[in-house]
Amino acid sequence: MATERITQPQPLVPNDVPAATAETILSVRDLWVEYATSRGSVRAVRGATFDLHQGESLALIGESGSGKTTLGLALVRLLPRAAQIPRGELDYCKGGKPVSILAMDQGSLRRYRWEECAMVFQGAQNSLNPVLTIRDQFFDTVRAHRRQSGREIEERAEELLKMVQLEPDRVLQSYPHELSGGMRQRVLIAMSLLLQPEILILDEPTTALDILTQRAIIDVLRRLKEQLGFATIFVSHDLSLAAELADRVATMYAGRIVELGPVNDIFYRSAHPYTGALLDAVPTVVGDEEKLTSIPGSPPDLRTLPTGCPFHPRCSFTIDRCRTEEVPVEWVSEHQQVACLRWRELRRERRSGASTD
Amino acid sequence: MATTALAPESAHPVLTALRGAIGAVRSALQALSYNRAGMIATWVFIVIVVISFVSPLVIAEPPPDYANIYAAPSAVHPLGTDFQGSDVLAQVLRGGEVVLIVAAVAAFVSVLISITFGALSAYAGGWVDTVITGLADVVLTIPGFPLLAVLAAYLRLSNPIFLALLIAALGWPTLLRAVRSQVLSLKERDYVEAARALDLGTVHVLFREILPNMRAYIAMYFVLSMTGAIYQQVGLYLLGFAPLAGDNWGIMLNLAWYRGAIFFKGSFWYIMAPIIAISVVQLTMVTMTRSLEEAFNPRLRKAG
Amino acid sequence: MGIVALPRGPRTVARPDAGAIVAGVIHNFYVGRLFKAFITIYLVATISFFVVHLMPGSPVEVYIYTLMNQYGVSYATAQNQAAALFSVNVNEPLVQQYVGYLGQLAQGHLGNSLLSPGTSVGSVMLAYMPWTLFSVGVALLISFILGILLGMLMAYRRESVLDHALSFVGSVFNSVPNYIVGILLIVILGIQLNLIDIASMRGSFSPGVKPGVDLHFFLDALMHASLPILTYVLTTVGAWMLTMKSNTSATLDEDYVTVARARGLGDWRIMTSYVGRNAMIPLVAQVAIAAGFAVGGSILIETLFVYQGIGWILNSAIAQRDYTVMQGIFLVITISVVAANLLADLLYGRIDPRVRIQGESGG
Repeated sequence: MATERITQPQPLVPNDVPAATAETILSVRDLWVEYATSRGSVRAVRGATFDLHQGESLALIGESGSGKTTLGLALVRLLPRAAQIPRGELDYCKGGKPVSILAMDQGSLRRYRWEECAMVFQGAQNSLNPVLTIRDQFFDTVRAHRRQSGREIEERAEELLKMVQLEPDRVLQSYPHELSGGMRQRVLIAMSLLLQPEILILDEPTTALDILTQRAIIDVLRRLKEQLGFATIFVSHDLSLAAELADRVATMYAGRIVELGPVNDIFYRSAHPYTGALLDAVPTVVGDEEKLTSIPGSPPDLRTLPTGCPFHPRCSFTIDRCRTEEVPVEWVSEHQQVACLRWRELRRERRSGASTD
Repeated sequence: MATTALAPESAHPVLTALRGAIGAVRSALQALSYNRAGMIATWVFIVIVVISFVSPLVIAEPPPDYANIYAAPSAVHPLGTDFQGSDVLAQVLRGGEVVLIVAAVAAFVSVLISITFGALSAYAGGWVDTVITGLADVVLTIPGFPLLAVLAAYLRLSNPIFLALLIAALGWPTLLRAVRSQVLSLKERDYVEAARALDLGTVHVLFREILPNMRAYIAMYFVLSMTGAIYQQVGLYLLGFAPLAGDNWGIMLNLAWYRGAIFFKGSFWYIMAPIIAISVVQLTMVTMTRSLEEAFNPRLRKAG
Repeated sequence: MGIVALPRGPRTVARPDAGAIVAGVIHNFYVGRLFKAFITIYLVATISFFVVHLMPGSPVEVYIYTLMNQYGVSYATAQNQAAALFSVNVNEPLVQQYVGYLGQLAQGHLGNSLLSPGTSVGSVMLAYMPWTLFSVGVALLISFILGILLGMLMAYRRESVLDHALSFVGSVFNSVPNYIVGILLIVILGIQLNLIDIASMRGSFSPGVKPGVDLHFFLDALMHASLPILTYVLTTVGAWMLTMKSNTSATLDEDYVTVARARGLGDWRIMTSYVGRNAMIPLVAQVAIAAGFAVGGSILIETLFVYQGIGWILNSAIAQRDYTVMQGIFLVITISVVAANLLADLLYGRIDPRVRIQGESGG
């Protein structure tokens, strides 16, 4: 596999992207994230482009190493020190006027975080300070942004904890280690809504939890969304999560968004072979007995990406052009975009889980 | 790490031990030079050791010269003279031998006790284990240096080797606990089970399977032990509780202190010479320990 | 989609019943430690008793012999004097003497000084211990605080010039024996550079200054203790610094720190309550242990600087073969170390909410 020889990140954005509408809350254009490692630079996110609308939930689906978590971190600029954003635009568009997040100073960024955009990290095991009670941490969070009386903060905290199905009396006075993993995850979700953010980013909210707790969390998230109306970005490898909670789904591969569209279009009329392969790998509870197919091979090493389409080594539909040409993003419909040279032929209809060829 | 042969080929204990020792020395040298500082420190240390053992053979005990007390540095006496007029440089060069021998003996005996009883404790289990660990805890808690001082005074040691044994008698608990916990964990490992299944005998298992894996820790502990032994020795000499015959660094410090050389401007080199010698030895040994630590514990290495 | 039931066990309430408390105490980790502490002290007392009585030329016999030969005293009289001084009766069988000795100890009688008969060892202790506690206490406080602050600084500025310089200096001073650092201070600062008047620093306080609770006395005492304190701080701060630096570095990588930043918390708050507090936890327990060691090592430093604390008096007792004082001080030092270790364990439980006595709160 030839090493990617592009030294300067090239734009992969189609020229006819519809402009941000009045309902757009987050606008991402051609975002790249680069890590400096001892063995060369790695591009974890390559040319991500999408809009997030008010109240909408977007699922970012991909295998590990696809860049989905990095993209999530980039949206709040919490990338590790070794990472940087060499190119791209990230705008927050509340009230019509877009504000560039990448250009924000530390003070504004600090206010932006959690007040406008909150991120709940993967694995709540260690996300809370072990030496402070939950109440103290709620207080910390609010006091860093607003002046409110203890009474007000406490009331709001109790309200939110009840919304996530936790007992405020017991939870607030506890230390993090006294709560179970599922309870900690719910505490974090409640905490994330303390300041009524417009955007909530959730990184693998149900991974590492047992089935029952997963169910509970999913129900909680769905209800909260209905009640409070914030926009959500789910980062996950779990397609079923997307099916339950997302309005739109984006699949990522090797740092690129390879397909993006409304959830029904993605599930029933996917255009990218990778999305199709992901769907084929998921067993259905109802429907005909289908042969499960896994995707051959493994995700590529981001330092030595193949030329052309990064998915071509594992794709069953590769042709010569796939190996050599840069794949542009094209519009399947007004709402669905895909990055595949052969999407017109490969686009598949699916009926309730079963695929037809 | 240790390669283990399953076939009980040469059961000759001396050869086995020798082979083990040579392998240990070689890998120790490799580990010591693991980082730059370690390499320099090792060389300096070797030079000091060589000088300390060769000097007494070639340099005679410097005679007193009462006309020349506390003389300033000159060509004849590069570091001046002491309260008796004896040459300071000669004393410093000759002064390392006893200190280093005592330290080495103390460390060696300490390691021996630790390994033997640590392994025994872990292997035997039950009340043997409880008694030995209990004793180790007690010795660990008792403040070492005051005890050493009290015992040294009671026992009125005549020979530095006894001093070494006394130091060792108080220094073994730390390594014992480490050896014991290692043996406990290794006891359950597969290759040990296999060796036992092949009925290879306890001593064999201990020396061929378990200890080689602890080489690193034992080497580190040996050097660290020597550092502690030097600290305690010189401290005892300084206070006058150790046998005051001869002219090693500790005795030089003691004489300088009691003769007031510390408070006298002209005797600067008389007090500084042993201080520098002792400090350099301690520094090199600590650096060597750090290097060993880094070599054997990958997590401590600086990120590439 | 109903409410998820929270698992209810018998102890989800914050206040356990009395039975649970008692059970908790018995299986408590502290009781075990306390037991071990007693065993250690008991062993030390026993060992020192038997050393005095069984060693060739035991001090008791030497004393009796000296009295008889030098002062022409009869054996019986000498024996009685010995009994008074050593809190033992030489005629009794050893075991009975031993029991008597333990009994005396339990009542707090450590015997009388051999060289100043009439002065109880206990009073010697009371006269000299406070000075050691003062110098060790101040030194430990300074060393700890400095170590923590510098350690955090080094972690926040990793690989900087400051980091490397402090690491180097800290580890050099840590490796060189503390009494040598003390001698160096005297030689270089006092004699060669003449910055400090060594002579006036001898002793724990200046002659003519009356001990009392006032600022003048305190400052005078502080000045006299300054060299021992400086020596101690120089030789120990390196270790605190390096440990704090590595703890802080590790803590900075923890998830909750990143989450704290995501929550928009201020840098100062994160540094103190999120990073600092967590990084410091293992160190606080070590303070107590360090105090134990410092008291034990005081014999060298105090002798060097002629600072009249417990270490200094121990040294002179050893040198003058005042066995009862020696024994007594050694026992007291051991008790201090044991108490310090216990305190360390206790502190650890208080500071880290994850390590608490079982039975306090339901999981």
